[in-house]
Order: sequence, then structure tokens, then C-alpha cells
Amino acid sequence: MNTIAFAERTRGGRPFLDARLAGNLRGALWLALIAAAIGLFVMAFGSPFIVRLTATAFINLIAVVGLQIFMGNSNVVNIGHAGFMALGAYFTAIFATPVMIKATMIPNAPFGLAGVEVGALYAFLISVGLTSLIGLLSGLVLVRLAGIAATILTISILVIVQGVLVTWTDLFRGAQAFFGIPKVVGLGLIVAAAAAVLVVARLFKGSRAGVQLRASATDPLAAEAMGVDVKRLRLVAWVLGSAVVGCAGALYALYAGTINARAFYFHTAFLTLAMSIVGGMRSVTGAMVGVALLTVLLELIRIVEGGITVFGIAFPEMLGLSGLMLGVIIVGVMCFRSDGFMGGHEIEEVVTALRRRLVARKREA
Amino acid sequence: MDYLIEQALNGFSIGAQYSLLALGLAIVFSVMGLVNFAHGEFIGVAGYAMFAMAAMGMTDPLLLVVFAMATVTLVALVLERIAFRPVRNAPSTTGLLTAFGVGIILQNLFLLMVSPRPKAVPELSALNQTVDVWGHNFTILQFLEVGVTTVAIAGLVWFLKGTRIGLAMRAAALDFTTVRLMGMRANRVIATAFAISGLLASIAAIFFIARRGAIDPFMGLLPVLKAFVACVLGGFGSLPGAVVGGLLLGFVEVMLIVLLPDKLAGLRDASVFLIVGAILVFRPQGILGRRVELGDKTA
Amino acid sequence: MLEIDGVSINYGPVSAVRDVSLKVEQGEIVALLGPNGAGKTSLLSAAMGLRPLAAGSIRFKGEDMRRLDTESRVRRGLTLTPEGRKVFANLTVLENLDLGAATRARGADFHADIEMCFELFPILAERRHQTGGSLSGGEQQMLAIARSLMSRPSLLMLDEPSLGLAPRIVGQIFRLIRDLRQRDLTILLVEQNAHEVLRFADRAYVLSTGECRYSGPAARLQEAGALMQAYIGELVA
Ligand SMILES: Nc1ncnc2c1ncn2[C@@H]1O[C@H](COP(=O)(O)OP(=O)(O)O)[C@@H](O)[C@H]1O
Ligand SMILES: [Mg+2]
Repeated sequence: MNTIAFAERTRGGRPFLDARLAGNLRGALWLALIAAAIGLFVMAFGSPFIVRLTATAFINLIAVVGLQIFMGNSNVVNIGHAGFMALGAYFTAIFATPVMIKATMIPNAPFGLAGVEVGALYAFLISVGLTSLIGLLSGLVLVRLAGIAATILTISILVIVQGVLVTWTDLFRGAQAFFGIPKVVGLGLIVAAAAAVLVVARLFKGSRAGVQLRASATDPLAAEAMGVDVKRLRLVAWVLGSAVVGCAGALYALYAGTINARAFYFHTAFLTLAMSIVGGMRSVTGAMVGVALLTVLLELIRIVEGGITVFGIAFPEMLGLSGLMLGVIIVGVMCFRSDGFMGGHEIEEVVTALRRRLVARKREA
Repeated sequence: MDYLIEQALNGFSIGAQYSLLALGLAIVFSVMGLVNFAHGEFIGVAGYAMFAMAAMGMTDPLLLVVFAMATVTLVALVLERIAFRPVRNAPSTTGLLTAFGVGIILQNLFLLMVSPRPKAVPELSALNQTVDVWGHNFTILQFLEVGVTTVAIAGLVWFLKGTRIGLAMRAAALDFTTVRLMGMRANRVIATAFAISGLLASIAAIFFIARRGAIDPFMGLLPVLKAFVACVLGGFGSLPGAVVGGLLLGFVEVMLIVLLPDKLAGLRDASVFLIVGAILVFRPQGILGRRVELGDKTA
Repeated sequence: MLEIDGVSINYGPVSAVRDVSLKVEQGEIVALLGPNGAGKTSLLSAAMGLRPLAAGSIRFKGEDMRRLDTESRVRRGLTLTPEGRKVFANLTVLENLDLGAATRARGADFHADIEMCFELFPILAERRHQTGGSLSGGEQQMLAIARSLMSRPSLLMLDEPSLGLAPRIVGQIFRLIRDLRQRDLTILLVEQNAHEVLRFADRAYVLSTGECRYSGPAARLQEAGALMQAYIGELVA
């Protein structure tokens, strides 16, 4: 109710709107700066392994932010985003891969696509555009559904995309890897993209559409009664989210050079979903926190998983340990802090609260 | 004609498994509003329970079946107690995500304690023997699937209509508070719902394992997704809807196996979900379900 | 029999009931009156253990209720017929009654009690295989009361049984409530319909915006009608 009143007030009051915009921009800038700082630090001092890990983490971050844009604002659990990641990656691959390589890989591609080759940037743009278009088409169906039915539809999207990828061998090479994509993207570009996407997500969350959408998620009837077009808002969030997730896939293709349909299935969907949950899906800052926490934690567990020796005791290989911990973390977060690490708050709120406490302590002293 | 009869029984027997799984989902959902994403892992629990027993030298099929059913029911009760009770009054999204976490835990426990690779569970394979009935070829398993499922559903109907706790479960689907006012303990009603959902899932699991003769840590994922589909088709939370949705799904699958050439086998699951999408476009409430509006308390 | 002492109830930051005390003695009919939102339903819910107390205590037959769950309270003879009837719409009349006896086995006296309910409400006997949702408002209220009786309560709390019913039906329901007293039943009756109720209640309490505004003989409240009218005024009329 509060948020609805809030959304209503933002219609009229100009000055208030500007203050809000400023707050969002400040928060967005904080996030972008932190992302850039981490990126620069790793680029300067990181080993190749750390650079690779960081690049993957930032690609995941882009996907999680895309997930947050829809899920965090509409409160519908989405599992289909990995499908859009796949689409982003494959469209980029098809357009950016040199004709020569395609001649041996997908010689029978339909629509003469075997003979098409554009620059990586154009391939990226085309792929994000196509992914958004598919987002729009699927979104028209999705927004008609509520709750679990909507979630089932997102699962359907994932399964259908996967089915088409592995079956349409002429275009996607089926279960075989698609390789030879120009590796033109490095950590720097990925971080820049992540920073941009963080800003977009913050601005959307703070926009009137974002505020109204979140209000409608808590109280749909009241929102409808106030004339908020919930379906349209959800569609906007869904398409925007799809575009951002597609962007993650496209960057991955241009970073890794080789892609495989299996990599964009339930495993990826669940991992990114877990990141979103752990950080707090209602918060963009939470997306960043969740990715950071789980990336570091899972990497640490992977060391143990491979079998280590501690104080002379050799522990055996323990495959599944990282997955087990992932599940335990999710259940723990849900039981004790269902809003995730950030509890729905954004970074500037935390900073302000900290500053206030600091000032208070100084005054006491 | 022969072919048609054989495929019809095939559809029935596959659909029966989905119906059993979907019923369990629907029961838990209707009583406590939880979308149990971990439901499919009950199949894994049954499979690995049988595998463990067999590894210890117990290979009597009947004993394995009973042991698997008991284990799954127990696991369902334990999960309710430790994972789902803390989020009982939380928003449905929290419940769904908790269940999703529980599913990941179980899958990785199988992986960690046994192996990431498939393991053979051949003890029930004898059920795949074909028998000749009036010139048609059927397997014993197909008859069992249809027969046992029918009995299980009849038993469930009796339970829901004939026992106090069954009445309470039906009533709780609409109004849990008043059920408590009658002096019915909420914990008892919900635990019973979980036990039943586990029991029904274990029956489906046994058929599933008998058909495949093997288990792997992630074997529950696709069946539970199909069970969700069955529920959505029938209207989420509706018990008759779950049965009808499951059977319908069985027929659609058999049809797709017949219609799609092997080259397009990868599209079978995709087609199932495409059909679901199409149905949802025209009937968002499912085939038997009542209309659920955006923001309705259910789902 | 029932002693509510200094009870406060909150919904989050909102205080719904503040420091209310109320007593019901064996064999009495006590009316709890007050306008909408006064906190009557909250008080009854707390008595059944459906809402936590922020302060105060509730004793029933001398026993502290605070640590008992709803089921145990029903077993001890405390029953609530909830506001808005809340019959189980998807269950038949018989099934509704059956569930009403959830704390007792289906023995011989269970069947006798069902017959007793049908005697008390002949219309329910006619409709025994119909679903609760298909009954009229008055029939639903009868079913709700009958369902409460199935737990063999010693104190029956009724939350606005006249809500939304035609005057003729209301009279019928009130007559029935009076008759229940002959069956060794103590009654706490929540109503907005003050005039009718004060005619047969022994004592009355008036609750307004979460606080107790009157407690004493029902008759005096009737005599002091003019005074009370000024106070609750059009809210009660
Ligand atoms: N579920 C609830 N959540 C928040 N506030 C409530 C809730 N139920 C009742 N209240 C508030 O408590 C107060 C008392 O309500 P209630 O006990 O229903 O009064 P009465 O039964 O006398 O009409 C009201 O102000 C109402 O707004
Ligand atoms: Mg009330």
C-alpha cells in the first residue's frame, strides 16, 4: 500500500521525483564504481586464472541483473533466463563467426546465414535485438499468467529453446560445440557492460514503471484499482530483462569463442537464480553481492571438492559438495532471511545508515 | 487398430505416473500453498534407497519396493519438518525457492554419497517382460502402472472423503484457520499432506525406475517439470485436475513419440512445453481449473 | 468460567485491543457489543489462540490458556463460531459436522450428537448431502453453530451470528441461542445488533476502538439506553 501511495505521489510532485532520481543515480554510480574498481584491480594484479574467474563472474552478474529486472520487480520466479542467454550467445555466434569457419561448421544454415559475417559489435547488437524480440513475443503470453503458471511458462521457454538448439543442427550445430567465434571481448569490456547494466537496472527500479510494478506485486488488486496497467509493466520488465540476459550470453560468446547449448540449461539457470536469491532478488545491489558471495564461496569449496590434504590428512574427492552447499545456503537464506543478504535494500541506503551511525558515535565521543 | 490399442495403454501407463506425481504436488499446494519444486527428488530418494539396499545384498524386489516407499514417505515428513515448516507462513515465492534449494541439496547428496554417474538398479526389470493378451503385446509393468495407480487414486479419494484428517485437508484448501478452530492441529494436517505426496511419488518412482533400470542424481528434474505441467493443465491445486492433466500429458507424449521421427527426438520435450504454452494462452486457468487472476491468493 | 484479564492485542505496529478485561460465569449469556473495528473479533481470536497476546492473560475454567494451542482449548470445551460463518463450502453438511467433532472419536455419542444437531436444525437434516457453499446465509449460520456444538463445548463464543441475515432469520437464530442455555451451555455473544441481544443477555460489555467502555448488567445498559445512545449513537442503532 505504501509503495502504491508512493507511486501515486511521484506522478505529481516534480521536485520529489528529482530527489528520487538523484538517489537512484547515486546508488547506480556506487555500484558501477565498485564493479569498475574490482575489474581494474583484477586486470592489474590478477593471475590468468583469477581474470578468467572474474570475467565469468561479471557475465553471471549481467545475467543476474537481467533476472533481477523482471523477478525483483514483478515477484514472479523466472527460470527461463538461461534460454535467453543461450539465444544471445548463439545469435552472436551465427553473425560474428567468419564465413570460412561457418563453411565447415554450418554449411547448410538456412536463410543464407552461412554466408553472412558482420563485425562483432553489429553481431552483438543484432543478437540483443533478436533476443529482445523473442522476449517480446514470449512476454505477450507470459504477462497473462500469474504466479506458478507464469513460472511454468518460463521453464517451458528454457526447455523449448534447448530443444530447438539441439535439434536444429543446420543452424546451431545441435549438441556439438559452436566454435570459432571471434574472441574480441576481454574483462575490461565485460566489466564496462556490467556497470552499464547495473545503472540500467537501478534506473528501471527507481522509475515510475518500476515503482508501480513492485507495488502491484505486493498488492495487484489495489494497483489495478488505481489504474496501473500491471500487464504492460510486466511486459516492459520482461523484455528489458531478456535483453540484458541476452547481452550476457552475447558477451560470453565473444569472450569464450566456443559455446555449447548444454551450458545454457538448468544448471546455469539454477546457479544464477541462487545468486539472485542469496543477494536478495528485490535489490540490484543484492545481485552484485549474491554473485560475489557465491563465486568466491563455490570456488573455495571446489578446492576442497577436488580432494585436499590438511595437516597431513588427505581428504578424498567430494564431487557434489559445492552443489550441496549451494542448496544449503538457499534453504538457510529462505528460512532466516528470505529477502536475501541485502534484504531488499540498495547500497546508498546502507551507506547513509552507516554514515549516520558514524556521526552519532562521533557525537557521543 | 492393434497399434492404437497398444499406444492407448502406453499413454495411460505413462500418464498414470505423471498423475501420481502431480497429485502429490497438488495436495501439498492445496493444503499449504507450497509449490514443492523438490517433489521430483522423491524419485531419486526411492531410487537410491533401493540401490543402497541392493548393494547390501537385499535384492528381493518386493522388499525393495516397500523399503523405497517407506523411505520416501519418511523423507517427505522430515523435509516438511526441517525445511518447509519455517517458511510455512511466508510468501509463496519464498516457499518455491526453499523447495528449489531442497531439490539441489538432495541431488547433490546423491551425487556426493554415490556417484555423479548413472547406476543400474536391475532388480525390477523383470516387470518389463512382455505378455501376450488377445494378440497384443503388453508389459507387466504397464498393467501394474494402470492398476496400482487406479487403486492409489481410489484409496486417496476414500481417505479424503472418509477420514477426519482427509476432510480437514479438503477444508484446509479453502480455509485453514477455520480448520484449526475445529481443533485440528495444523502440523498434523500438513504432515499428512506431505506423507501422502511422498507415498504417491514413491509409487511413481518405482514405475519410473522399473522402466529405466537405472538411476542418476538428476533423474527427478524432468518428471517433476512434467508433473508441474500436468498440474497447470488441470488447474493448479485441483486434485481431479492433476489426474486429468497427468493422463493428458501421457497421451501427448506417446503421440509425440509416434509422430516425431527420431531425428527430431530432441524436440519431444520442447513440444510438450510448447503445447502447454499454447493451452495457457487460451486457458490461463488450466483445463479444469477456475480462473485465477493476477494476484489471487492461490499460486 | 472465562476470565480475560488486561488483554492487549496488536497487529504489527497497530494496537487493536488495549487492556480489556472480561468475565463469563457458568450458565450466563454475556453480550460483547461495539461498533465495527472495536476489536471484538480480535479478542475472540486471541481467546482461541489464533492471535498472540501482547499483554494480559486468559483463563478458562481456572486454567491458564496462554500456553495451550487452539486444539487443546477446543478439547477443554472452548469453541468459537467465527465471524462470517466460515462453513467449509466444498464439504457437505454432514462432513462439516464431522469436522466439527475433530477432537472426538466417531463413537456412538458422535452419531447421537449429529442427530441432536438435526433435531435442533431440521433444515440441515434435509440438506445433509448438500455442500456448505450451496446453503443460504441463514442455513450456513445454523450449520456453523451446529458444527461448533459438535465439539461438545461448555462455552460457546459466537461472533456476529446475525451478520448479513434477514430480520426474520436473525430472530430465529437468537431464539435458538436462548434455547441453548437450557442445554447447559454458557454463551459469549458478539453483536452489533445491540437492542435484540440486550433483551436476553444477562450481562454486557461494550468495546469501542479497542477499549472497554461498559461492563455490567445488560438491563442497565438498556435502561441507560439514552446515555449509551449518545455514546455509541448511530454506530449501534
Ligand atoms: N488481519 C489484520 N491485520 C491488521 N489489522 C487488523 C487485522 N484484523 C483486524 N485488524 C484491526 O484491528 C482492529 C479490530 O478489528 P476487529 O477485531 O475485527 O474488530 P471487530 O470485530 O470489533 O469489528 C481494527 O482496527 C482492524 O483494522
Ligand atoms: Mg468482527
